[in-house]
Amino acid sequence: MAELRDELIDLIADEALIERSKLVPEATLADLGLDSVGVVSVVFAVEEKYGVEITEDAFKDVTDFGAFLAVLEGVVETKRAA
Amino acid sequence: MTGQARRIVVTGLGAVSPLGIGTKDTWIAAREGRGAIRIHHFDPGPNGPETRDTAAALISGDLLGALETALGRRVGASLDPFALMALAPAHEALAQAGLLQAPVLEHRTALVLGHGFAGIHTLEASFERFYGQKAARMHPLTVPKVMVSAPVSAVAMEFKIRGPVFAVSSACASSGHAIAQGAGFIRGGECDVAVVGGSEAIVTPCCLRAWEGLQAMTPTTCRPFSAGRDGMAIGEGGAVLVLEALDHALARGATILAELAGVGLSSDAFHWTQPSLDGAVRAMSRACEEAGALGGESVLISTHGTGTPLNDKNEAAAIHTVFGKSALRHPVIATKSAHGHLIGAATALQGVIGLMALAEGVAPPILNYLGADADCDLDLVVERARPIEAQAMLLNSFAFGGLNTSLVFRRSPRGEGV
Repeated sequence: MAELRDELIDLIADEALIERSKLVPEATLADLGLDSVGVVSVVFAVEEKYGVEITEDAFKDVTDFGAFLAVLEGVVETKRAA
Repeated sequence: MTGQARRIVVTGLGAVSPLGIGTKDTWIAAREGRGAIRIHHFDPGPNGPETRDTAAALISGDLLGALETALGRRVGASLDPFALMALAPAHEALAQAGLLQAPVLEHRTALVLGHGFAGIHTLEASFERFYGQKAARMHPLTVPKVMVSAPVSAVAMEFKIRGPVFAVSSACASSGHAIAQGAGFIRGGECDVAVVGGSEAIVTPCCLRAWEGLQAMTPTTCRPFSAGRDGMAIGEGGAVLVLEALDHALARGATILAELAGVGLSSDAFHWTQPSLDGAVRAMSRACEEAGALGGESVLISTHGTGTPLNDKNEAAAIHTVFGKSALRHPVIATKSAHGHLIGAATALQGVIGLMALAEGVAPPILNYLGADADCDLDLVVERARPIEAQAMLLNSFAFGGLNTSLVFRRSPRGEGV
């Protein structure tokens, strides 16, 4: 789980061009400059890397990075468990 | 320039090319005759046809790393290569001009870049994803990466250039038109500075096949004006010049590298791929007349010089028509033999190399020359670099579709060097 989380944080840092040290759970997506295009870019990269599909409404109640990461982790873990 | 219009000078140069990352490395390789055209093996992937070898000139070295170091931030995969190849020379040129973070960028600076094509790398990968892999969704940044204005937007955002900003396209003359357009903003008084040039990144398996279809590509290497020449080789890269009103440059104590003294634009309105003597002559004559360069002085001629049988024959005839009896007194160079044909960036890159040649008083050699062709009777600088007396350079670009630019630059009016 921790390994997957690290992988995802690396991927997000690369895709969204955000310093890894700023990707902490309490940071809001707005603070990180992760706008709608940024979110879709990250989602696209996660889908490509892990062969998953993430629905558009998966992030509808998400405002901070911790929750954002948890959604991605959950989708990947579900796929792996299947 | 003519009348009461403001004189226009060059205060910054930037280049990334197959000859090197940066103006200095590019110039030294050109001067020393170290060409970059090689036979490359391009693999179109599992959904493409058989692989094939093609002559092309590629950038070597870590362009992205160099750019990220220069900018002090990550750029990553957010830009197509043709935007990276504009951003890097724009930074170099603005830094040399001493204009990074200068207030003039806010409102009195234009930015015009030329490209023959757009984000071909991104487009080709997208087609492979869609048609080859049958993937339903495209990357969300596909459109901003592909669009032909992506480089100017990237450069404007990076350096906060807020005056007139747009891209122009006229195939192999694109950056020539960009230079002319930028000069117009200064001449007309709307701007004090114009960041101009172009970039091109079209060395991809599919795009190269399209070029091969034109029957204009060499299977070996580019030999401008030579006996046995058999076509052009594509190159990649970008180049940027900072143009500035002379009065503005003097007022801020800028180092003046050269003056843009004449601009000639014309259209053949004739043929997609065949050149026209009339169109070339009109562009060259207008630029030279405006610059007062037809009085018998020695002029360095940086030719379009693609290495195709038709272009070089036509350009040689045009030089004889424009310069008459003095035609053989002007040293002729053709640096596409070293860096390949950068299409939309060709004029700007050859401008940068030519201005270095003027500043150092040394003409870089035409490479791969096999011997004289009676149709190309010119004072060709071949085999090795040659000292020159020329104080002016005529820079030609004659694009497919019959779109022509000729520019005349003079060495710094204040005698300063590059």
